[in-house]
Amino acid sequence: MSVDFSVGLYGLIAIAATAMVITRARPVHALLYMVVALLALACLFDSLGAPFAAMLDVIVYAGAIMVLFVFVVMMINLGQPDETRERSWITPSNWFGPSVLAALLLTTLIFALGHGDAATGPNITEVGPTAVGMSLFGPYMLTVELASFLLLAGLVSAFHIGRALGEKR
Amino acid sequence: MMPTFSALPPSVVVLSLGTMVLMLAITIKRSEIIDAVLTLLTLLVALAVLPMGAAPSALFAVDDWHRFSSALIILSSIGVLAMSWRDPTVREAHAPDEFYLLLLMSALGAVLMTAGRNDITFFIGLETLSLSLLGLIGYRQHRIEAGEAAMKYVVLSGVSSAILVFGFALSYAETGSLVFAAPHALHPVEPLLAAMATVLVMTGMFFKLSAVPFHTWLADVLEGTSIPVAALLSVVSKIGLFAAMLRYFAGFDLMTPGSVSDEVTAVALLSMIGGNLLAIGQTDLKRMLAGSSIAHIGYLMVALLAPGAFGLGSAGFYLAAYAAATIGAFAIMEAVSPNHTHLNSLQGLFRTRPALALGMAVMMASLAGIPPAVGFFAKVYVAVAGVSAHRDLLLAGLIVGSVMGLFYYLRVVRVMLMPATDEVSTGRIAAPGNAVLISALALVTLVLGVYPSLLIPRNPIHLGADVEAATLPVSTQTAIR
Repeated sequence: MSVDFSVGLYGLIAIAATAMVITRARPVHALLYMVVALLALACLFDSLGAPFAAMLDVIVYAGAIMVLFVFVVMMINLGQPDETRERSWITPSNWFGPSVLAALLLTTLIFALGHGDAATGPNITEVGPTAVGMSLFGPYMLTVELASFLLLAGLVSAFHIGRALGEKR
Repeated sequence: MMPTFSALPPSVVVLSLGTMVLMLAITIKRSEIIDAVLTLLTLLVALAVLPMGAAPSALFAVDDWHRFSSALIILSSIGVLAMSWRDPTVREAHAPDEFYLLLLMSALGAVLMTAGRNDITFFIGLETLSLSLLGLIGYRQHRIEAGEAAMKYVVLSGVSSAILVFGFALSYAETGSLVFAAPHALHPVEPLLAAMATVLVMTGMFFKLSAVPFHTWLADVLEGTSIPVAALLSVVSKIGLFAAMLRYFAGFDLMTPGSVSDEVTAVALLSMIGGNLLAIGQTDLKRMLAGSSIAHIGYLMVALLAPGAFGLGSAGFYLAAYAAATIGAFAIMEAVSPNHTHLNSLQGLFRTRPALALGMAVMMASLAGIPPAVGFFAKVYVAVAGVSAHRDLLLAGLIVGSVMGLFYYLRVVRVMLMPATDEVSTGRIAAPGNAVLISALALVTLVLGVYPSLLIPRNPIHLGADVEAATLPVSTQTAIR
């Protein structure tokens, strides 16, 4: 029972959850599994010595983006008898799987944290927020600047395509 | 921090500044003339500053290869700009202003890719290009086929980017550095992992280059977009990617047999044959040019697989010939009928509009590799490179592919020679920008075909001799690990 064991378990949970994501027919069910997959990925990052990447993964992906997805799925196709339909989506058999995986993940995490810091393995040095910031705004500063053009291109494209059709001229 | 900025390639600085100025101009007043003039000015200045140098850096390689391929990219963008000016299919969208903005940004992304010496620089350039292209492909949002094309492009572009990044991750795990080069060049400890990384990176690039068997998206996407965007997609993005691919393999010996050179050889052969087979069956001009573009990527890979004195020079020459002829063909389609690109739309063109028909014949001759046009010499140059590297199988593919290509390129000429149908309108006059573009490209294609030495660099271009110098200082490397 070592760090390797918990790392392997995180990986297995991530693979199992991702397999469920791509085989679910309803987007909502897929999203529930995807949250678990992202959390497992965050645990994996942390045990590999990248707590900052793990936190970003939880906050940005599992948090903000997934909530946005769930929101969009719920907002789409308004006007039908929503309540009954949504109730049929969230039956116990549907939330059981993700909950089991999440519980397993939590147990492993608590176990790993209880058995010493995961980031003290032989070949692992911890990369904290300071180190990430130092390299982003040190040697990679110009790429950070250029990434703003990447975001701008994405923004302009998304805005133009997403613009309502009725607005023509 | 100011000295850091001097490491940026000068054309990247100009293109970024131009993008910002254009955005400012759009917020003040939406006017298509101002947009087009600002875009043209930015591209011209970017072209003018190309010879300037930059401070040495681990992120950017401002060398001759970057200058040459960037010049091609910027000139092609100017061509696309001339084509889209007064293009009815661009103007039917909500507003034409963002079109110019996205055009500038795609040029910025492509130029950045050619200078990428670090995985991150390359990837940012690639994604800037891909995201701008996404906006341009779906620009006519009210058209169902534009939405379909944009959807296909964004899904496949996302998948290929994921494969590419996975390859970079494996390469970093193996070598501990993000230098944009095949990990074999950095003396890996574990050759299998390095080979896996290279194969993944290449697969991602092949997807974006639409080489067979990763080509299925190209014909559908070209069919769904407007003609200028189709030209941009099949010229600018391919030049950028191919230039980067050559840089990636600069320190790698492709002559030794192994998984990597086998994959490139197989993809090159499949692209030469598959692309031509795809084009033969098409009756839509855009789909036909998509097949032709796939086949030309295959011919270019012969140059990639023939390192040495001829490899880089022939690749550069071929890219220039391909860009001129392809943009010319799209520009003539634009001048004939912007909305209707079936082969029939060209019927009787030699009688109704002989100048355009002559231009189209020159472009088709260049793409097919028939002597007075530059395409002939480009193909000879690539074949010489292949012969000098003893690539017999690839040369056979090149010959078979070229013969197949003759069929559909000459079919276009045959259709233009047929008697005109009644429904063909003769009234439409080509927009002035487009007319200048077509005549300039036809002239370039013919003059370079007669005097090819104008485009051959006097000194051989050297690439990637300083892979080690591109590694970041050791202290920062350990900080990142």
